[in-house]
Amino acid sequence: MTTLLQQLANGIALGATIGLIALGYTMVYGIIQLINFAHGEVFMVGAFGGLAVHRWVLPESFRENWYVSLPLMLLGGMAVAVAIALIMERFAYRPLRNAPRLAPLITALGVSIVLQEAIRIWFPNADSAQPFPKAFVDSQITIIGLGPDGPEGDVSIRASQLLLVVVSIILSVLLQSYINRSKMGRAMRATAQDPDTARLMGVNPDRVIVLTFVLGAALAGVAGVLYGVDITNVDNAIGFQNGIFAFTAAVLGGIGSLRGAVIGAFIIGLIKTLGGQYMWGGTQYDYVWIFVVLILVLVFRPQGLFGEAERVRA
Amino acid sequence: MTILNRFSGSGALGRHLKPAHAKPLTAAGGVLAVVAALLPWVTFLLGDGAYPAKATLQFFDAPFAVEGYRLHVLLLGLAALVVTFVAKTPGRGRVLRALGWGVFAISLISAVFITGRGGGLGAITAADGVTAFGSIVGVVAGLLIVLGAKAGHLDDIPEWSTDLPRWAAYLALVVAFVGVLYLVASMLTAGGTGGASNPYAGPIFLAFLGMAGGLLGALNGLGVVRWISALSEKHRAFSIVVLLVCALALPLTSAGNEYWMTVATTIGVYAATAIGLNIVVGLAGLLDLGYVAFMGIGAFVAANLSGAAAAKVGIDLPFPLAALLAAAIAGVIGAIVGSPTLRVRGDYLAIVTLAFGEIFTKSAQNNIGGLTGGSNAIPGIPNVEVAGTAFNEPITVLGADLPGGVLYYFMIVLVVGAIMAVFANLKNSRIGRAWIAIREDEDAARAMGIKTGKAKILAFLAGATLAGLAGAIFAHKLSTSSYESFKFLESVTLLAAVILGGMGTIPGAVLGASLLFVLPEKLREFDEYRLLVFGLALILIMRFRPQGLMPDRVRRAELAGETAGGKSIEEEEELVVEHEHEAPGPKGGKA
Amino acid sequence: MSITDNMAAAPAPPVLQAQGVTMVFGGLTALNNVSLSLGKGEIVGLIGPNGAGKTTFFNCLTGLYLPSRGRVLLDGSQLAADPSKVTIAGVARTFQNIRLFPNMTVLENVMVGRHSRMRQDPISTLLRLPAFHRGERAARERSRELLEFVGLTRAEHEVARNLPYGDQRRLEIARALATDPKVLLLDEPTAGMNPQETEATRQLIFAIRDTGVSVVVIEHDIKFIFGLCDKVSVLVQGELLVEGTPEVVRADPRVVEAYLGKPPEEVEADVRAASTEHDTRGEA
Repeated sequence: MTTLLQQLANGIALGATIGLIALGYTMVYGIIQLINFAHGEVFMVGAFGGLAVHRWVLPESFRENWYVSLPLMLLGGMAVAVAIALIMERFAYRPLRNAPRLAPLITALGVSIVLQEAIRIWFPNADSAQPFPKAFVDSQITIIGLGPDGPEGDVSIRASQLLLVVVSIILSVLLQSYINRSKMGRAMRATAQDPDTARLMGVNPDRVIVLTFVLGAALAGVAGVLYGVDITNVDNAIGFQNGIFAFTAAVLGGIGSLRGAVIGAFIIGLIKTLGGQYMWGGTQYDYVWIFVVLILVLVFRPQGLFGEAERVRA
Repeated sequence: MTILNRFSGSGALGRHLKPAHAKPLTAAGGVLAVVAALLPWVTFLLGDGAYPAKATLQFFDAPFAVEGYRLHVLLLGLAALVVTFVAKTPGRGRVLRALGWGVFAISLISAVFITGRGGGLGAITAADGVTAFGSIVGVVAGLLIVLGAKAGHLDDIPEWSTDLPRWAAYLALVVAFVGVLYLVASMLTAGGTGGASNPYAGPIFLAFLGMAGGLLGALNGLGVVRWISALSEKHRAFSIVVLLVCALALPLTSAGNEYWMTVATTIGVYAATAIGLNIVVGLAGLLDLGYVAFMGIGAFVAANLSGAAAAKVGIDLPFPLAALLAAAIAGVIGAIVGSPTLRVRGDYLAIVTLAFGEIFTKSAQNNIGGLTGGSNAIPGIPNVEVAGTAFNEPITVLGADLPGGVLYYFMIVLVVGAIMAVFANLKNSRIGRAWIAIREDEDAARAMGIKTGKAKILAFLAGATLAGLAGAIFAHKLSTSSYESFKFLESVTLLAAVILGGMGTIPGAVLGASLLFVLPEKLREFDEYRLLVFGLALILIMRFRPQGLMPDRVRRAELAGETAGGKSIEEEEELVVEHEHEAPGPKGGKA
Repeated sequence: MSITDNMAAAPAPPVLQAQGVTMVFGGLTALNNVSLSLGKGEIVGLIGPNGAGKTTFFNCLTGLYLPSRGRVLLDGSQLAADPSKVTIAGVARTFQNIRLFPNMTVLENVMVGRHSRMRQDPISTLLRLPAFHRGERAARERSRELLEFVGLTRAEHEVARNLPYGDQRRLEIARALATDPKVLLLDEPTAGMNPQETEATRQLIFAIRDTGVSVVVIEHDIKFIFGLCDKVSVLVQGELLVEGTPEVVRADPRVVEAYLGKPPEEVEADVRAASTEHDTRGEA
């Protein structure tokens, strides 16, 4: 029982991270039907951006107070992530807007490799795990002795996990309302539905696409920094794995659906922790269960949990 | 080549060029190229030692003793001059353009390398009161020739008659294939083995590639390449025999030592796998991002049936039987993996295959069922043996001493040959047409009575079988089988090989696999940047030459917006404009 | 015209029969109880305003949709809801917006149509045994016959995407005929054609009918339909409005009304304009 609760808590925290990344996947796919493989790397680059701010930008005195350092690191992470996203949209994807579908997908793979390698080569020692500052309240909430297991039945939740979940939910809600209410949000929805008509209505598709990349990257940047704060170390491989989890979450929720992406992410987080706990093979195979779910969803319900069947591209 | 082409073509300079500038530009470029070859290229001794081809000033003895890449620049420059002044050269524009890019590439590679490896700018300009402008002059010469070619008219690639007497056709084919053999051997050995002891292997190899590219481009512009391929099409059986003999003769060339045999065998294994992937991606249009898993399955099956001490299944089968079993099991699993493809299309399919690939890697890493050895791999896979001779031993055939590993090389040549035949025979058959139809328009294919589900599963089965076979050879050659060899990045590399070479074609897959697996071998000291460059290359290829280096005549049209005749869209548009001046054109009739 | 009359005078047993086909999407009834019967060697036209359910009906006939109610019979046995099986059973089709295999040659396109009518086992394919060559030769010869039949012999080795528009339509018909159909379904075969091409298509359809193949044609061009078909069915809002010989249909006031309440000539002009516009958009 306690183990279950503990894994539930861990799964939800993981889901919060994945959810922030998945929003970027789902938005970009919704607008230009591109599986932006490199989006996971944007998350990774965001984490390193935050780390860089902490290492080389913040004065010693700032580092001690998390309420000073964390916001600055978040800003740094977002800025780096957004800059990378802008560059890759402009120079890698935009020229291929009307190319056969294979081309942007392979380009995305290329971008992903380049970003991973660039960090490995040029960020000092990034090929092995880099300690990430605990730029948040370093405490954990312990719920004591919930089960029959007595004192061993403590369920502990790190403050940084709570922060991840709270931030993730707040940002998702903000994003949802931005897209539903604002003028740019309407333009985004119009472009997703029918780019040609949107263009006729005066929407500039380039601007919409850029905005989509920027929003997705900003969220991924936040996720990267908060992930680093929570896990307390990062390396250049965190992007690929979490990126695939996030993509799976987006597909599970119904690609194109924001709400679906977030809910999908929590489900994926839970599958990983609970699967690692209870399924055959333990944590060595937790990764595998996510892919099994991905395959099952794509095969049996390709529109996902919240997607509309007829909008799924044939 | 087209990559740079676009840069200069879209630049402001390109638009101001007029046909009248063509001749002076190419002539000047040709002369400069010759001059560049005769100049020294490096002012002082680099930290890694004298730069090859006696290009360093202090070893620069007599301007006429040119060798290595300087000789290549000289020859390309002379060729450009000849072509410039022989008015009737067929396909002149294209020939010049290729020669220009060749000169440019060779010079730029050396310039960048010399500056980058401790020389600084002084090394290629002037330092300590001495000058060595060779590489800079070469770069300028190359650009001038290219610009001149662009200023002039790019003629169509000429077509040569293939109605020759049989002996003449055979002679031409033998000459061509022996030429290819020589080129391959020189390319393999160009610069020698990469590594710390041989710091200049990388640039020398790349410069050689630049030369080979320029040469082949020029031959293509002359129509020779097309002529030879038409001839070989016509005399198919003869060509196959000659090609096979040439391939088997590689150990007799300068590449005939154990090291190059190993490299060539590895290339062969990946080429075989790439041809299999080409069935799935190139013919049936099913994007597979987990393909290397089938090679892995083949390797692990073979390892388990080899009698290796570390293998869980202790059965020791003769190699041919084990290889067939490996292929069959990989094929069956391929068919199973392929079955979800009945329901998903496009990007989703790519993701499903990626997921399968990841599941395979994870399971192999975790030593699933004890079958894969996990992170210890399965070491000690015995060599293939025939009549008491292990395949890694040197042998003597008819008095010729052949290096160790040559038997593996022979085996992979035969296997690649067989796989090529399988690919070609499938492509031009009922099922091949069905695959291509599915790639082109799945709904229309179904309306033609094609059971698309069955056809797709067959594509996966065929592709996975070939990969499994290649994997079995791979395991024995390496004598170990580790999950590390079959990760996502390998799948991407294989896919890149297929795309780089040209989708749907055999030479394309072989060429792509060769380049992608030789380059890291040559550029070992740049290992740090290998993947970075690979990723960049993927982006650039998709941007500038998505149809690959040797595209299918038809496929090229789809990916690059070229017409089947081989003209680029820009050229085609020019033609359309011309037509519209003459007459209302065929478009008028449609409305 | 005289040919048409002759055929109408000798009714054959039905080859293709749609019985009470009803198609419901969500809550929307796209087709309601539509029946159609096609005799051997008959040409039946299907007309109706946009959104009348013609394409939906076509999709029910070709196995793309499984009708919610009712059934489709070919020679008395029910067709499966699977396009490839329907084709194998003997119902071939063309597409409204041409769907050739653009990067295959003209001959290859037609040979794809032979797919279900030829056998090739893997062994003889891989080893190029005589059986393989026999099969290929037969398929190639049949395909060439069909290309000659539609008048595309000269373009045999061209890539399909490079063909002029009218030739692409004819290639699509040749490709459909390569499946040896009993029934050929043509979806707007003259969309975007000029009068000469339209007339050539009409002659081609007659020629196809004369080989014993029954034909169903969906078309906007009313004049074309009336000059071609033995029977015409008019679909309006998913229901069968009128069915009968061109004369009967032409005289029916409800048909005129269904077409925007205008006299036939004007309707025709409108429809023609609409289809041309549609076509140019498709090409752009």
